[in-house]
Amino acid sequence: MKLAVISCIHGNYEALNAVLSDIDAQKADQIYCLGDLVGYGPYPNAVVEMIRSLDIPTCQGCWDEDIVEGLNACECSYPSQLAETRGRLAHEWTNSVIHPEVREYLATLPMTLKLDNLCFVHGSPSSQHEYLLPSMDGFAALERVLSADADVLFCGHTHVPYVRDLEDAALSVNVQQPDQTESPKQFQVALRQIVNVGSVGEPRHGRPNATYVLYDTDTAQVTLREVPYDYAKTCLAILEQGLPPIFAWRLARGMEFAERADDPTHVCER
Amino acid sequence: MASSNITLVAGSPGAGKTTWISQFLTDQSQDLFYLCPGMGRDSVDLVRIGYRFPWVSVIPENQAQTVLAGLPRQAQVYLELGFHLDLASPLLATLPCQRVAVLPPSLNQSEWHDWADEVIPGNDIQDAGRDPLPELWRSPLTGQVFDPPSLDELLIELTGGAYGKVMRLKGIFEMPDGRAFHIDFVQGLPGIEYTELNLPRWLQGRPNRFSGLEVVGHHLEQETISKTLLASCLADDVLAQYQHQYQRLHPDEETKEVFSI
Repeated sequence: MKLAVISCIHGNYEALNAVLSDIDAQKADQIYCLGDLVGYGPYPNAVVEMIRSLDIPTCQGCWDEDIVEGLNACECSYPSQLAETRGRLAHEWTNSVIHPEVREYLATLPMTLKLDNLCFVHGSPSSQHEYLLPSMDGFAALERVLSADADVLFCGHTHVPYVRDLEDAALSVNVQQPDQTESPKQFQVALRQIVNVGSVGEPRHGRPNATYVLYDTDTAQVTLREVPYDYAKTCLAILEQGLPPIFAWRLARGMEFAERADDPTHVCER
Repeated sequence: MASSNITLVAGSPGAGKTTWISQFLTDQSQDLFYLCPGMGRDSVDLVRIGYRFPWVSVIPENQAQTVLAGLPRQAQVYLELGFHLDLASPLLATLPCQRVAVLPPSLNQSEWHDWADEVIPGNDIQDAGRDPLPELWRSPLTGQVFDPPSLDELLIELTGGAYGKVMRLKGIFEMPDGRAFHIDFVQGLPGIEYTELNLPRWLQGRPNRFSGLEVVGHHLEQETISKTLLASCLADDVLAQYQHQYQRLHPDEETKEVFSI
């Protein structure tokens, strides 16, 4: 079966349309979505309506959660005062235009989705706000995959796609209990994978093109797709909706609307 | 004054006028003077020269005439002329001086060539010409302290063209750890240069020393730049929190006012 996994659409309807057309052309059997349907971009309602109309299984992203719960993250979410100011503006705008039924739908989204040995999350199995970066410590990365009880963990949130193989993991543990002799234990872990699917609507790889991933469940082949789209239309809509013009400038350069958090491995404590 | 050596230095923005002058300011055995006519009392270059070469007399514009009239014998005087100054102005024409133009090597013909006694090849950048004359936008920021990642982001956007076409940017910015940095960008040269200034850390309230930004370019969105600058500055309570932390980390350092012009 050929899966298409998309994430981080951020109200960018033009990008979503282009990606859905590409998925159609690639003849994918099923689409999964890893959340962040809303936030920053100019078409949050239209994006959610499209995802719902296609009945795409979707996890809740951090921006979706913020629209449901309100902005109550700790200081981890933004790397700078400027990014925080802009993020709050984007949140307030999204919060003001979101339809009640869209908010209700976002509230129903699960944190994780499973399909056999595959797990789908927005940030990590621990939190929608945690970044699984390719540079993350191998042990911590493996722990995240194992905690999801999966062989392949699909995530988004960083907006930069990558595939990371975690192979030949051998763990040695010495267990010392009171009044008992030390007992060594060995664990061998078979190949695990983390697949970051990038971002449909808010890329951060230096080009404005949307990214997503195709996954063949029979061969375990991962294909990173990069899809050009008419980002100028989204930029124009950003200006027309009264969102900060700097969002349009950054989107056109693949710079994302705001930078990644300063300490990306920090898990938000709400 | 006739026995003094006065050098007028002109050239296109970013060609390297200040850098060229700086090589002559290391000689502490001479009476050295530096002026930036047309830049008012405070300018980034004026202040930075003062910090870097404390033995050099940096002369604010309002004192220029008095100082030039009473120069000591054998004084070496450098007047850096901004691109926006009229080279044919009577004041400049009457000065007994050597005229030097620092220009991009690829520029072969210009009014600077006609004006100068000597042309020095400077940075290899594209000369944008003077028609139309670029805008010069200046924002004094004394007392403002920046959130460092916000400042980085703002500078990336500014120099990347988010708020108009920027040909040249220089500034002095205060950081919450009490340090101050000189920041330099020239369109056509790689990256943004950050240089820490050799000043004591300012860890007691808002710094009472010059900081500011100067931008040369076209179609500059001045109001947006101002707003974004302010959005990148720390509020009093946040600054106090940072300073408290750094004071604990550096208990032996004292704040002192070191320079005034």
